[in-house]
Amino acid sequence: MAESDNESGGHTGNASGSNELSGCREQDRFLPIANVSRIMKKALPANAKISKEAKETVQECVSEFISFITGEASDKCQKEKRKTINGDDLLWAMTTLGFEDYVDPLKIYLHKYREMEGEKTAMMGRPHERDEGYGHGHGHATPMMTMMMGHQPQHQHQHQHQGHVYGSGSASSARTR
Amino acid sequence: MVMADEEENGVSIQLEFPKGRVKKIMALDKDVKRVSSEALFLVSRSTELFLQFLAEKSAQVAIEKKRKTVNLEHIRVAVKRHQPTRDFLLDELPPPSQAAKPDKPTQPAGRPKLDPAPRGTRCIDQFFRKPEPENTAQAPGQPPENPAQAQSPENPDQDQAQSPVPVDES
Repeated sequence: MAESDNESGGHTGNASGSNELSGCREQDRFLPIANVSRIMKKALPANAKISKEAKETVQECVSEFISFITGEASDKCQKEKRKTINGDDLLWAMTTLGFEDYVDPLKIYLHKYREMEGEKTAMMGRPHERDEGYGHGHGHATPMMTMMMGHQPQHQHQHQHQGHVYGSGSASSARTR
Repeated sequence: MVMADEEENGVSIQLEFPKGRVKKIMALDKDVKRVSSEALFLVSRSTELFLQFLAEKSAQVAIEKKRKTVNLEHIRVAVKRHQPTRDFLLDELPPPSQAAKPDKPTQPAGRPKLDPAPRGTRCIDQFFRKPEPENTAQAPGQPPENPAQAQSPENPDQDQAQSPVPVDES
């Protein structure tokens, strides 16, 4: 419930922001510097400090990281003639781009995320399934899926229940532009 | 370190970054049309991992140089030491020598206001100086014939002499 509220709130905020002020577009290119600063401080020693210039530079770095990973995943989707970027595309992109160390931790997170989504869907009582989309993905990513199924037998089952796509969000974004 | 702590306490699913913002950044690429919720989740989480990595490496560099404050140079060195990060970030970082110090003229143009003042002063001076020579020329001719009339012209001279003083002051 909390997450869904955050999603709708965030989406509405972005929509109204982009409609009202063109200046918001600049802010939308970066993640909030408060969040960036907080995570940096967690990773640093207690007595360490961060210059303002360093915070702003890192803020730009993480945006570049998102664009870098997303671009690679998007290219893969286009080659396979798919329109929706899914989790497997991103895991593949990170491995290709040299961030394979992130894949194992992310799989753990993804596993727990799917468990939560499953409970969430059950609570809402409105399971959204897009077998076509994910079936399509399965068809084109058979090798990867086979390997993943070997490690996580329940992957396919949970995967099918996770047919949640931000189609409307993208559509509204496109309309705004 | 951070990862181990999180695992021991039970991995938190709560994301640090707002999903809407992450999604907008992903959508900056025109080719990106639709993103599944799992993909959005993975990008958010991987960005957190990348940020932690970058912060830790930058802190290491700062410690090596015996500094308590992490600055831009430490980030640059940290980026250079990791090949995958270096590949896509090194060109994006600001150059080492920054000359971003634009001069800001805080003094408004007040001089133009002073220009008309001298001109006005000169005009006033010229106006008062012209009558004096005429009075002086008439004075020598009249005293011998009319002593009484000679006294009256002296008074106007004194009056005129007094008026220039305020002009000089202003």
